Amino acid sequence: MTTRMLGWLALLGLGGGLVAGFGYAPREVAQGNVQRIMYLHVPAILTAYLAFALVLIGSVGYLATRQLRWDRLAAAAAELGVLFTGVTIISGSIWGRPTWGVWWTWDARLTSTAVLLLVYVGYLLLRGMVDEPDARARYAAVVGILGAANIPIVHFSVKWWRALHQPSTILGPEPSPIATPIALALLVNWVAFTLLFAYFLARRMAIARLEEHA
Amino acid sequence: MSPMPDNWGYVLAAYGVAAVLLVGYWRYLAARAHELSQPVRGGRKGQA
Repeated sequence: MTTRMLGWLALLGLGGGLVAGFGYAPREVAQGNVQRIMYLHVPAILTAYLAFALVLIGSVGYLATRQLRWDRLAAAAAELGVLFTGVTIISGSIWGRPTWGVWWTWDARLTSTAVLLLVYVGYLLLRGMVDEPDARARYAAVVGILGAANIPIVHFSVKWWRALHQPSTILGPEPSPIATPIALALLVNWVAFTLLFAYFLARRMAIARLEEHA
Repeated sequence: MSPMPDNWGYVLAAYGVAAVLLVGYWRYLAARAHELSQPVRGGRKGQA
């Protein structure tokens, strides 16, 4: 599948996600229409988890093989992880204002997500500070592996600490309590975000290859 | 009837900011790819 085709599929998916989130899914009983931010907020953090998992895989792959293509994967995924975590935090903050009455609170989930963002911003800054490709890849791989430890902390923070943020309703140990139309709309948006991520990743890795030969 | 007002402004703001970020990143990738695909002019510094 070509990158261009992946881009068109992602665009189609995002269009389908908007139809599912605004046309198909019903108005939520307690929160009203502001709950529709969930179709953006949840797929964004799931995509960020995927990105940071790829940073971990790329980092381990580089340290095991010393091949720069693993480092390219880790670097591209880290950039995208920062982008999607940014979307998560901003959309969550906007959702928090009408539902919690505040834009931000130092709740365990919010704080650990902010730390996750800062760790990978640091990862990208570190990459920018080292010129020698092998040294850059090696240092970044160490940070990429250590940074991944934050992902379970973010995900389980709502179980481990008393939090204002609601507990996990998907990817949790218990069966999901979400109504089927809402779950379906969420699924469509999740697939769309994953396609968009795959498209961005393919393009970013192609650019990284060009940068190495520039 | 929901106990909360609809707050459509917040919904639009969340989707609007996300669209700006995602489209902005897409444009950055396009610009970077275009820049790298251009032939280098004048050669490297120090070359005759």
